[in-house]
Amino acid sequence: MFTDPALATSDSRQHRRSVLYSLGAGLGSIAFSALLAKEQRLFGAQSVNDKLKPHFPNAKAKRCIFLMMEGGPSHIDTFDPKPALKKFHLQEFVREGAQKSAMESGKRYYVESPFRFIKAGQSGADMAENWIHLAKVADELCFFRGCQVDSVNHPTAMYQMNCGNRFGGDPAIGSWVTYGLGAENEDLPGYIVLPEVSYPQGGAANWGNGFLPASHQGTPLRAKGSPILDLSPPPGVAPEHQRKGLDLLRVLNDKHSREHPWHDELSARMQNYELAFRMQMQVPDALDISGETESTRLAYGIGRPETDAFGRKCLLARKLIEKGVRFVQLYQGSWDSHDYLARAHSSLVRSVDQPIAQLIIDLKQRGLLEETLVVWCGEFGRTPDNGVRGGIAYGRDHNPNAMTIWLAGGGCNAGITVGATDELGMTAIEDVHHVRDFHVTLLRLLGLDDNRLTYYHAGRFKQLSQFGGESIAKLIAS
Amino acid sequence: MQTQSIPTTLSSVLRASLFCFALTCSCIAGTSGNFAIAQIDAERVFAAKVEPILTSKCLSCHGEEATKREGGFSVSNRESLVQGGDSGQPSIISGSGLSSPLVLAISRTHDAWSAMPPKESERLNPEEINAIVKWIDAGAPWLDSERMKKVREQMSEESATNDLDATVSLHTSGGTSQSWSNRLYKRSDVWAYQPLSRPTIAQDGPKAIDELIALRMPEGLKPAPAAKASDFIRRATLDLTGLPPTAKEIEVFEHQYLVDPDKAVSTLVDRLLASPHYGERMAQHWLDVVRYADSSGLANDYERGNAWRYRDYVIRSFNTDKPFDQFATEQIAGDEIDPANPEFLIATGFLRMGPWELTGMEVPKVARQRFLDDVTNSVGETFLGHSLQCARCHDHKFDPIPTRDYYSVQAVFATTQFAEREAPFLDWENQSGFGEARFLSRREEDYIATLERLNAIQIEAAEEWFRKEKLPSDDWHRELARLSKLPPSDSAEQTKGRVDTFAKARESLRKKGSGEEHVPPVHIGFGPQEHGHYRLAKKGLERIRWQQDRYLPLAFSVYSGPTPNRKNMLAPPRMPKNPEANAELEQTSILAGGDPFSPAAQVTPGFLSVVSDLGVSMPDSMAGRRTALAQWIVHPANPLTVRVLANRIWMWHFGDAIAGNPNNFGATGKKPTHPELLDWLASKLISNRWSIKSMHRLIMNSQAYRRSCQHPKPSKLLELDPNRSSYAAFRPRRLTAEELRDATLLSTGELNLAIGGIPCRPEINLEAAMQPRQVMGTFAEAWVPNALPHHRNRRSIYTLKLRGVVDPSQEVFNAPASDFSCERRETTLITPQIYSLFHSRQSYLRSLQLARRALGEGNESNQAIVDRLFLFALGRTPDDVERHAAIEHWQDMEKVRAQEPIQLEGQPLVIHREAVEENTGEKFQFDEKLYENEEFVADIDIKSCDARTMALAEIALVLFNSNEFIYVY
Repeated sequence: MFTDPALATSDSRQHRRSVLYSLGAGLGSIAFSALLAKEQRLFGAQSVNDKLKPHFPNAKAKRCIFLMMEGGPSHIDTFDPKPALKKFHLQEFVREGAQKSAMESGKRYYVESPFRFIKAGQSGADMAENWIHLAKVADELCFFRGCQVDSVNHPTAMYQMNCGNRFGGDPAIGSWVTYGLGAENEDLPGYIVLPEVSYPQGGAANWGNGFLPASHQGTPLRAKGSPILDLSPPPGVAPEHQRKGLDLLRVLNDKHSREHPWHDELSARMQNYELAFRMQMQVPDALDISGETESTRLAYGIGRPETDAFGRKCLLARKLIEKGVRFVQLYQGSWDSHDYLARAHSSLVRSVDQPIAQLIIDLKQRGLLEETLVVWCGEFGRTPDNGVRGGIAYGRDHNPNAMTIWLAGGGCNAGITVGATDELGMTAIEDVHHVRDFHVTLLRLLGLDDNRLTYYHAGRFKQLSQFGGESIAKLIAS
Repeated sequence: MQTQSIPTTLSSVLRASLFCFALTCSCIAGTSGNFAIAQIDAERVFAAKVEPILTSKCLSCHGEEATKREGGFSVSNRESLVQGGDSGQPSIISGSGLSSPLVLAISRTHDAWSAMPPKESERLNPEEINAIVKWIDAGAPWLDSERMKKVREQMSEESATNDLDATVSLHTSGGTSQSWSNRLYKRSDVWAYQPLSRPTIAQDGPKAIDELIALRMPEGLKPAPAAKASDFIRRATLDLTGLPPTAKEIEVFEHQYLVDPDKAVSTLVDRLLASPHYGERMAQHWLDVVRYADSSGLANDYERGNAWRYRDYVIRSFNTDKPFDQFATEQIAGDEIDPANPEFLIATGFLRMGPWELTGMEVPKVARQRFLDDVTNSVGETFLGHSLQCARCHDHKFDPIPTRDYYSVQAVFATTQFAEREAPFLDWENQSGFGEARFLSRREEDYIATLERLNAIQIEAAEEWFRKEKLPSDDWHRELARLSKLPPSDSAEQTKGRVDTFAKARESLRKKGSGEEHVPPVHIGFGPQEHGHYRLAKKGLERIRWQQDRYLPLAFSVYSGPTPNRKNMLAPPRMPKNPEANAELEQTSILAGGDPFSPAAQVTPGFLSVVSDLGVSMPDSMAGRRTALAQWIVHPANPLTVRVLANRIWMWHFGDAIAGNPNNFGATGKKPTHPELLDWLASKLISNRWSIKSMHRLIMNSQAYRRSCQHPKPSKLLELDPNRSSYAAFRPRRLTAEELRDATLLSTGELNLAIGGIPCRPEINLEAAMQPRQVMGTFAEAWVPNALPHHRNRRSIYTLKLRGVVDPSQEVFNAPASDFSCERRETTLITPQIYSLFHSRQSYLRSLQLARRALGEGNESNQAIVDRLFLFALGRTPDDVERHAAIEHWQDMEKVRAQEPIQLEGQPLVIHREAVEENTGEKFQFDEKLYENEEFVADIDIKSCDARTMALAEIALVLFNSNEFIYVY
């Protein structure tokens, strides 16, 4: 009863704007925004750059690299040591009550961590000792042990971590951030995703724009094959042939436009063809990391089988950030170690340790770390106990009540650990925050106020945190 | 109603709505003098505006209790409000609203006072701020609850029924607080709950529509003339069938139109309504709303093998013009009404359309609650124009829906249980293509072979283990021998026994008391490779069980009964022999914060209480609740359902609905632009016994529908109707994703126009088809197209719709994902559309086919061939300029293609995959065999195409990409 009619009524100018913004995008056309900018000038609209000013102008972070460890890394075996588990090792564990799920059925027993822990850096951060490289930048990291989520299933937990809403369909963090901060580079999408060859559970909705304009959709650059689907025509079709085809298309469309002079979508659509034609030649350059020196490539672990894939992603992320991409999300999985925890987590840590450490070092050396927020997390943590599924192949199950997230750069409170879990790592007990508060904090670090970064949809103003949350002050450098 | 002028611009809305109550009510103050009048006005402002604002926007942080008193400030009574908070300053200065700190804070313009409420999304609008200013100006009178009730009752009585800005109180079952129950609503916000009005108009039939549209035509704006005949037939044919007209049909219609336009139009509409493709087009609209998909979504995305029968049921229902009240009733309660009728069982698939699964990981009660919330909201959005979910955690913020009502409606579904029920195939169901089951069988055999191989590895490793551990293995061997003697059988359980003897033997020894240390470890013999293959095979077999349901006479349906105790649902549920066994009758309660573990007051099944009692009684028994709900929903006196339907049908023709959010008639939805028209259409629906076809006839024969898109004075139109809601000119639209694909296939002559049947699998972008797709713990199978062209080149509505796989060529053109109800298709213009339409293998295939069709025997003149190419694609021949340009391009490209033919990939037989294995975190590899591709017949043999055909295809490609092809006028 108290809605602003301005927001509830359709406004033709608004409609035109949304059409224009959506010229950029969707599955991702790099540099569509060039046309976007041109169109906006054409219609006298403001540029994407000054669309929205940050709500907190003093915020340091201007962009974000989000390292998504899909599958749920175990906090207990990475950054949150639980020596008490030693004495319970293989003792039976009983969980009862109405909230019992099938995951809790059968015999369960505690499992100690197979990893030894060290105190890293001057800050003495807890780290499993197999984080050999990351330990060297420990003082750049800010650990958070207080986060909790709602879901024990992968896709719903992924959706919640990425989009705030467990059931998907809402805009991803990267979409909100580009919506809030606009693009720095009009020749590249503001939000780029570097997925695994296989998409995470929940699929592309993890980087969907939801109800935000299509230009805020994450553009996945596919790890294999064409980075963008159908970017190139079939073999045998050369650009000069396409050019001729486009010329014929123009003859037809010109005639059609003369018959429908008032239909302004027609010219926008024709221009889109010209843009697509130019872009298909420019995209491959943007993704080329061959120009980097051999030593840089080596430092990221490129060329070594265990680190090559993620090393490439980290290096590309740095390049994209340098070119002004706002939000780059990197996927690495699967951390879903129900069994053989020691083996699985060892190989996973090995695959990301050096690339991530080098990314932080590289950003710092280039003076980019201060402006770049780096986030490392999964969709949930893991339990201190294990079910029959693993037999005695020790592993851990899903745990929405405890996890470790760390931040680096971007004005985070580096060198400290915030929050704590109980003696066994079952649940967060200090500085406990629902993931919505973490989202509010991320936006805050990037200069955005979750309560003001809203979009009117389906009858209400929606926001990343869903219904509002609080910023976790301890995670932010004072 | 006709005399009431409706403000059309934003500012006038605001102006008109400011203090309407203050202006209209001074007369009742009687003899009390001016001061008393002002006092009573201010009391009314307080009751209608100020108190609700304080309660809904301030009280949660500035309450009475000390813990809820942020900044030491409370708005719970006048004293504390006046006194102010920690600042030490009073928050209101009686008599001077504009300088009161409270107003400075809510107007968010003063640095000294923090903006309140802090959330931008909750900021007060100018109208609200003005109300508070006015109230303070008048001395900020406070009302005790008795006085408040009296004032509100008075105001409600007085408010003139035609005054949209007037405030009204509405009777509901009651909110969680008294102030919610007593609150007042702006009449314009609750328009949908009012009974249908009967506008007095001079005419009937299609002319009545034009009369009602003329009523709201901006002054000085003249409507556009009728569309050209060729535009009109394209518009009408696509609207009713989703397919463009053929060149012949256009020609015939143009001729008839010359003779008698009215008759030509009505004959055309009748012909199209009789087409079997009418149902397909309407069904697409309906499936958008109900979120149709052939899979469950979420972690496993299991196939819903029988969902296609529901899709076909919808098509049939539209084709037979099933009265909508019956259509709705069957979908909500078909199983209760006639469980012996397969059609009625199939219809209830509607209730299960949302994404849902129960994995072993989730708490079953939470998963059950997800279904209950989903179905409650879905029924609300689909039939009542109300996304009820806003009332899940609290009384509705804007609409007269208390949370009690939400749970009363939900209680109707507390006895709704899932089952794939036996429902013999009906004569009119398309049962062709079931032979494809053989490809599933081959995969099944593969998985079983894998499991047998892995079992053998484990048994061998176990031998080694016993030797190494120096443990006795007699029991073990006895057990293995016993298991291997079990007769092989086709049943799933037995199959498992045959391939899982290692695990069975282990389990049986453990049961007999052997310690974990005396039996071989569970994963013995397995490395990353074996682990990976094991998961693939196990999950693969599980998935096939859902896929095999496609060919069985089962309905994706429900029954009424207690809720079975289930820990997971890894196979399609069947009708239990005894529904009462191991099941629990759910008792519905209001859930605090929507949490199934926080039940508050119990509720009984019921309806939305804001709609006046329709005399439908709701049983409390297990069965019959949904029947009662359906009766209430389709009751002719229920003002919501019939308006929702009339509004949707209108939108299916004009692109925009009369009330712009067809799923949301609440305060936050767009208000009807032509309320009289909406009500008139709704009344017509009832008097025409809910016949949807009768509505198409009414609408499509109106002048409004027949109008040209080209307004003679475009600048006048823009000026007088900036929102384009006057219907002075028709609005062009782009083809939907499905229409685009279907129109292309139709023009090439490839479209198989058969109706209904199991889902088809067209060729999609190969990379997307082969994209590895994670499902719980492992990977799903690749998208493999049907082997034969006529199986896969069917209308898009028959495409297998898996929530986890998108066809990029459809997605880029705004085909909706089936997670949320799609009330209206979006039309965006994005660059990937161009890549899909101008570059893709699919587009080239269609272009080659069109070229081949136009070439025919190939012995005609270039001009004749190019003319035919245009005729097939655009329904017209080219003009001289086009023809010349096309022929020139053709000749140029023929020289190029003679040297450099186009190459198109074929379908692979095997995909080699490398992935990270979940148990070990290490890489493993596997080959996925695509058996159906062994029999794949290409749409066209590219090698048989000569340079001339390939070159002509370049022109066909341009035609498919042209604006003329993609827009409808």
